[in-house]
Amino acid sequence: MATKAKSATLGAEKLLSQLVDGLNQINKKLDSIIQLNKNILRIQKELLKKCGIQGPSVTERKISPDVLSLLSLPAALRKTVMVLYKLEKATAEGLAKETGRLRAVESAAANQLVRLGYLKKKREGREVYFYIESPMEIEK
Amino acid sequence: MKGKKRRVITIHSSRGGTGKTVIATNLAAIYANKGLNVVLLDLDFRAPSLVAVFSKTIKGPIKHWLGDFLDGRCKAKQALIDVSEGYNFRGKLLVGFANPSIDAIRNLVEKSRAWEVTAVKKLFSLRSTLFNEMGIDCCIFDTSPGVQYTSVNAVVSSDISVIVTTYDSLDMKGVENMLVELYDAFAKKTVVLVNKVFPETRMWSNREQKQLISRMEKVLRHPVIGVIPCFCDVLQAKRTSLLAVEKPNHPFVRNLEEVAEKLEVGVETNLEEKVVGK
Repeated sequence: MATKAKSATLGAEKLLSQLVDGLNQINKKLDSIIQLNKNILRIQKELLKKCGIQGPSVTERKISPDVLSLLSLPAALRKTVMVLYKLEKATAEGLAKETGRLRAVESAAANQLVRLGYLKKKREGREVYFYIESPMEIEK
Repeated sequence: MKGKKRRVITIHSSRGGTGKTVIATNLAAIYANKGLNVVLLDLDFRAPSLVAVFSKTIKGPIKHWLGDFLDGRCKAKQALIDVSEGYNFRGKLLVGFANPSIDAIRNLVEKSRAWEVTAVKKLFSLRSTLFNEMGIDCCIFDTSPGVQYTSVNAVVSSDISVIVTTYDSLDMKGVENMLVELYDAFAKKTVVLVNKVFPETRMWSNREQKQLISRMEKVLRHPVIGVIPCFCDVLQAKRTSLLAVEKPNHPFVRNLEEVAEKLEVGVETNLEEKVVGK
């Protein structure tokens, strides 16, 4: 019985690990598509400028993650934003510590929130931090 | 809460007139009387009332309002006024007042959604100032009724919310909706306090009262932390009087002391287990 249970646990762990790997790959692909799109738009803008044509203004999508807007988000994403109200900025690891979820799950959620325009991310050395862009300086 | 977990408690309701402010002020007084250091914040920016409640103990003009702190114009400490001296509490009671002037109310009501994001972050940062720097044991948010930014900001940034309701069917329906659509969505610890219940309940046995609580918990699917009967003298009392100080043996205060005790201890044990769907 014990051996059976152990092998079932190992099987579940393996499956979870595969799922996390899959999510990471999707994340990377989405990020590269977004980057590619940005490059295309930049080149298009430069070409239009060279030809003396005023192109449509391209602005980055930005949504204010206020508490009532959070209600329209899936619960998993809402939880990540709520942690960032408290932490100001956090890596996927830091988010995972607060939510008790896997680092990869937090990374996927935070990156999705960046794509949706709710969060911003920045690199500091080797770490990538997620944060809420605030119009007012937070005074401690 | 000395030696226990320090916590932020939000007092909220689905509609006005449930006795939210009377509960919040007397709860703060009960804790301060027990020797705890308490902060009470008036987050009801649409209808501020704490200035009137504590008017006798405020010395001189108020320099900084709670709105100034949220606006980044002053530090948290500057927006808190110590009123404990006027009541001879064993602990401290600091109050953050909302400006009752029409201009200030209009100004805060017109704030943008981006400002509300900053406001909720400010409420979160306030926790560390109060608990780590100022030695506060408990912070109570008195909020606006219903679903409004300041109230929801308070709910999101607090540890536990107490929804005050009357036994009125509209009130109960409002609470039911709010519990599902707001509190459960944010996965916040929430308890219900039924206030102004028909006076006959005062004569009820413990068994009958428990049956009433059990019926309400079944409908609301959340713990009911207490049932306080309607007392005419509480309704008729001046808003500047703090019953917990002036009439500490009043049954209303006795009822509220039980609620205070449960919030202090019970929520972490048996009540928490009773929260449905958590």
